[in-house]
Amino acid sequence: MNIGIIYLLIAFILLILSVVKSPEKTKQALKAAGKISLTVFPVLFLIFILMGVTSVFVSKETIGSWLGSGSGVLGIVIGELVGSFALVQPAAVFPYAGILHEKGANYGSLFGFVMTAILIGITTLPLEMKLFGKKFTMVRNILAFILIFIIALIFKFVL
Amino acid sequence: MLKQTIKEALIYILATLIIWGVISFISPTKGVLVGKVAYETFLKVLAIIVAVFIIIGLIQVWVGPQRISKLLGKEAGWKGLVLASTIPIFIGGSLFTIFPLLRTLRDKGASIACVMAFIAAWSGKAPLLPLEIEFLGWKFAVLRFCLIIPFAVTMGLVSEFILNKLQRKPKTI
Repeated sequence: MNIGIIYLLIAFILLILSVVKSPEKTKQALKAAGKISLTVFPVLFLIFILMGVTSVFVSKETIGSWLGSGSGVLGIVIGELVGSFALVQPAAVFPYAGILHEKGANYGSLFGFVMTAILIGITTLPLEMKLFGKKFTMVRNILAFILIFIIALIFKFVL
Repeated sequence: MLKQTIKEALIYILATLIIWGVISFISPTKGVLVGKVAYETFLKVLAIIVAVFIIIGLIQVWVGPQRISKLLGKEAGWKGLVLASTIPIFIGGSLFTIFPLLRTLRDKGASIACVMAFIAAWSGKAPLLPLEIEFLGWKFAVLRFCLIIPFAVTMGLVSEFILNKLQRKPKTI
């Protein structure tokens, strides 16, 4: 809670600076923040309940064997696959990863999950193909998946 | 636009209530436990999330994706790649909002490497750092932050190399 208050304080200081410079732009910023809240809070509600479901119904042993110390390098791939298919708002990625962490997922798998959840989306594929073409989309998603795997190895062995 | 957002919000809330309702119906004690975890997490992050949203709102207005894309459109070559691999770390949004922006950028002449690096760097998500530190610890957050730039540069250069090869093949045959 303390940390949250520090962040709020920083946000309010920035807000005051913004008002001093331009009240009009600050109003727009608050409107944008309101719109983001409207989009993200319902998703967070779902994620928080899913976190509860995970913490009540999924055992530490299960997470441990899929994403934890028992999973080896395969755990990273599983984390990446879950992230690729998960329909997660970026803001909800970290809280959900947190509960997986509590349940014993290792940092390599968590990095794989977090990065693919942000960067690779089954839901965004149609838009990406429409805007940039099939080749671009394929190369971006596959290359990202491979590079994320390599970096996840660093996370697994360093942290 | 706003109507669509509200509609989506209601769908999420409804879906959540159904999931929770079914669990509570089958096992009331587990339903309470699920609710407890959700409520405790909510209290834990509420202040952080409000702060993060205010900061993202301010960034959107003061820095603005449009201004960033203008800056990137002007700079070609190495300078462009360096900018594309760093600046997007600090902006918010989802893939749905940055894809159209990058299409315009590409039309204005930005290279494939720049667009690819931009998307990769954008996953750095600096505005969400408070949440990342809270849930995964500062070591994870710092290491991820440090590796984002090399990741973005590699994404840009390697994907451009591959795409150029793919594009050239049909011509030589």
